[in-house]
Amino acid sequence: MAEDSVSEYAAVHARVRTMYATMLAPEEWRDLCEAADFGALIDVLKRTVYAPYLTEVDEKLLTPRRAAYQVLKRLADAFGVIMQLLPGTARALVAQLYRRYEVDNLKALLRGVEKGTPWEQVRYVLFPLGQSTVLDAQRIIEAESVGAAVEQLQGTPYYDTLSHAMKRYTAEQSLFPLEVALDLEYWRRLWRGIGQLPRSGQIPARRVVGSLLDANNLMWAIRYRINHRLSEEEIVNYTLPFGYRVHDEDIQAIAAGADIASTVGRLYPELDNVGPLIQEPQSGLPELEVRLQRLDVEVYRATFAGYPFHVGIPIAYLLLTGMEIQDLTVLIEAKSSHMPSERFEPHLLLGCVSQSATA
Amino acid sequence: MFFPEQMTEVELVLPAEKAVAVTGVLAEAGVFHQIDSSYVSTETELEAADGWQQRASAFAALERRLLSIMELLGVEEGTPPSADMSTATDAEAAEAATDQLEKHVQAVTGDLSKERERMEFLQGYIRQLEPIRQVEAPVNVLGEAEYVFSVLGVIPVDNLERLHMSLGHIPFTLLTLWKDNRRAVVLLAGLQQHADILDRAARSAYLNALSLPEEYQGTPQQIIERLRSEIGQVHQKMVERKGKTAELREEYQEQLQALLWRVRTGRMLASALARFGKLRYTYLTVGWVPTSRLTTLVGQLKRVSEDILIETNLARRGRAERDVPVSLKSPGILRAFQQLVTTYGRPRYEEIDPTLFIAITFPILFGAMFGDVGHGFVLALLGGLVASRKIRALRSMAALGTVVAICGLSAMLFGFLYGSVFGWEQTLPALWLRPMENIMQVLLVAIAIGVFLLSVGFLTGILNAWVARDWSRLLFEHNGIAGLLLYWSLLGLAAGLLLPGFSIPISVFVALAAVSGLAVTFSVPLGRLVEGRRPLIDGGVVTYAVQIFFEMFETLIGLMSNSLSYVRVGAFAVAHAGLSAVVFILASLVSPGQGVGYWVTVVLGNVFIIGFEGMIVGIQTLRLEYYEFFSKFFTGGGTRYQPLVMFEEEE
Repeated sequence: MAEDSVSEYAAVHARVRTMYATMLAPEEWRDLCEAADFGALIDVLKRTVYAPYLTEVDEKLLTPRRAAYQVLKRLADAFGVIMQLLPGTARALVAQLYRRYEVDNLKALLRGVEKGTPWEQVRYVLFPLGQSTVLDAQRIIEAESVGAAVEQLQGTPYYDTLSHAMKRYTAEQSLFPLEVALDLEYWRRLWRGIGQLPRSGQIPARRVVGSLLDANNLMWAIRYRINHRLSEEEIVNYTLPFGYRVHDEDIQAIAAGADIASTVGRLYPELDNVGPLIQEPQSGLPELEVRLQRLDVEVYRATFAGYPFHVGIPIAYLLLTGMEIQDLTVLIEAKSSHMPSERFEPHLLLGCVSQSATA
Repeated sequence: MFFPEQMTEVELVLPAEKAVAVTGVLAEAGVFHQIDSSYVSTETELEAADGWQQRASAFAALERRLLSIMELLGVEEGTPPSADMSTATDAEAAEAATDQLEKHVQAVTGDLSKERERMEFLQGYIRQLEPIRQVEAPVNVLGEAEYVFSVLGVIPVDNLERLHMSLGHIPFTLLTLWKDNRRAVVLLAGLQQHADILDRAARSAYLNALSLPEEYQGTPQQIIERLRSEIGQVHQKMVERKGKTAELREEYQEQLQALLWRVRTGRMLASALARFGKLRYTYLTVGWVPTSRLTTLVGQLKRVSEDILIETNLARRGRAERDVPVSLKSPGILRAFQQLVTTYGRPRYEEIDPTLFIAITFPILFGAMFGDVGHGFVLALLGGLVASRKIRALRSMAALGTVVAICGLSAMLFGFLYGSVFGWEQTLPALWLRPMENIMQVLLVAIAIGVFLLSVGFLTGILNAWVARDWSRLLFEHNGIAGLLLYWSLLGLAAGLLLPGFSIPISVFVALAAVSGLAVTFSVPLGRLVEGRRPLIDGGVVTYAVQIFFEMFETLIGLMSNSLSYVRVGAFAVAHAGLSAVVFILASLVSPGQGVGYWVTVVLGNVFIIGFEGMIVGIQTLRLEYYEFFSKFFTGGGTRYQPLVMFEEEE
């Protein structure tokens, strides 16, 4: 590894290690999972690093949706802090990684525009990107049509993609082609960003980002075939030809009708009993997705071992924090609807069940 | 200078009608660090508080709209005028003014963008037709072929390869007729019997088929000519519209700028007011003000209204104190080193600000490790250049430039002490010693520096604990008095054993080490005993015994490793001289007769030393400061002082 990576990553590495140490501990997860209801869950969360985000809102206004929004601010802060400390190309890569939430926001906004959802209902569903977004969310949601909303995106990185895909929206009156176009463009930019890194940084970045992409790409291919019943050529066009473990030939094989269970089993030998999950897609595919994400957790955690001065560690930390918050969101929804633990625990990636599962 | 600025908590209770004016005064003063007090609002008033929040959102939306209009017209933001509080929070008036401006502007710019859009369409058609210009048949014939299915259209370049891949199972032809870095014009053709597959593939690859309006009939060449003529007309209209845009810019520039700053003022005021507590007839807000600025602020507030109730509470430095924001006011050159401190952590209010320490010790440690008059001079020069802000691209690194420049000067000073200039050890006399010839002495001095700095660190930690009234930390913990005594007694013990003429009996240090060691070992129960907290230990006695054994082991190892860590100061001084010698050996190998090759090698070697070794020494110095020195007394985690201001200053 180049010596310059030591100087470039010394500060960010020290900061990320400190932040990594503040992730929720097993005993905190236990208390969160055992909380009797939403109120109790918030009380427990207020004793954790999430306290400042929750206490900044009056208790009376802290609905489950608002609580989920507030905890997301921790991730936004983490991205802000880390991006500030990263060197040029790595910063650009993490900024692109961060755009994932902007893409999600944009998709939510377009859905809102299509359904005529008012701003007040949408605002706390969005990721709190603060000043670091090119989207004028309120203005977009107030647009009179999807086409008008897309026109408002002129000058943003999304306009070109969406304006081209609008022809299909106009013909099909479905947001599906717009959302797929956004996703594909997002991942292509991210993957190109890895290519811009110095050679020594590309390997860990490919491992971490590639693992995340693999799970996404594979689930896309499976869902397009099973749920959407798309043709081979459509599946190929709606998926990506790169990744870490999952290669283009694997995706093409699934698209061409190969046995999904054996393909997944070959790609992920550590996953067992994939067959029944594919046979019961309604419950099986979400479970398969969770199991793939739990494997990603192991990849991210493993990144912290070994040579530390590279962009893989900050990215792994950010992805782990994203998963922690995803779990908290599940818990917030579960506790506010008094869901029993056996129903929500299978959806958690880091907390409760996965504590023992991944230990 | 040693502690963060003294702060006073200020609680203001004011008549509702004075809320806007008071917020304006607070923002203009720029010293009030506001705390969210909206939680005190009574239930019926919550809605009103939320109203301010909504107004802030409305102002933010207006600001975005105005900026968009200004961008369309090419109007600069201008400088902020003095704020007019009487109308600043009237969002409806601002919205009406924005609507009116937008209407006027959009009448012209809307036409312009329509023409621009039309131009893009026309040019897009031409781009698609150019590659088939030579085809003599009418364009509509393409879609009417009996045996061949074909699609002519535009596709994102990124999708081209994927489209190719997706059709691997059928025969097809995909011709790229034209492309730039975003889009490609392609002709996809295959058998009519595969039309469905080809169509699905084209659609899913976002291949937008060429769809010329019906009025464009004929061969590609004929259509292109007609399109060119229309482009000429559109261009003419655009020139006219642009002229009108320039007129609009002249007409509305001042109005737009004034409105923008009014809206910004409104947004700031509404955001601040949303954080006020709203009672039935009054507003309440709480915040922190530097004590030195309090009298002036109170005077300014009283000028707004005598009815404002102002309660102040001086923040004492103690651990019971609430989360007091930390304002660091390092004078002049120290400000550059402040960044090194805040990168590690912001001091807490009750903690000593280590900026002065780091400003003294950082250059000394760096200079001692990198002592060379020539190398130091180059660093000082480069650092000074960056600090002068003359290089636009490096302006944001001006503070770092100052640090580098000072480190360079320190390296020059040590260069005179070591008698080294650009690696030449024989040119200058050594005012103190030559590291390569006095290795053991250099290493011992380095350890002595370490012992001194660690002792300063211990003493600072003790002072911090005293200020924070943290008696347990002060008396018993490994960074408190007991820890310092243990450290000193171990040093005394080592000196007694190693130095034959040492006059103090070893037994004194043994006894002192035993007492202080026991205090550190049992710091938790002793601390709780002193502070009257129970239980004295957590968990069982066996667990506790195991825990204290390992903690004591870690403390002793830590004391030793912290001290020995400073050996690197001497080691790097020696390594610097060694590395320089290697450069000259290499130069002699390249050109024994000291020709051009010799001097090129010497120059490149020195550049390498300045860049590579300079960077490593910088990292090592930072490591010594952060891990050895700061860990003795610095906790960090203080809240940043962010006063309410009318307009954020651009960096």
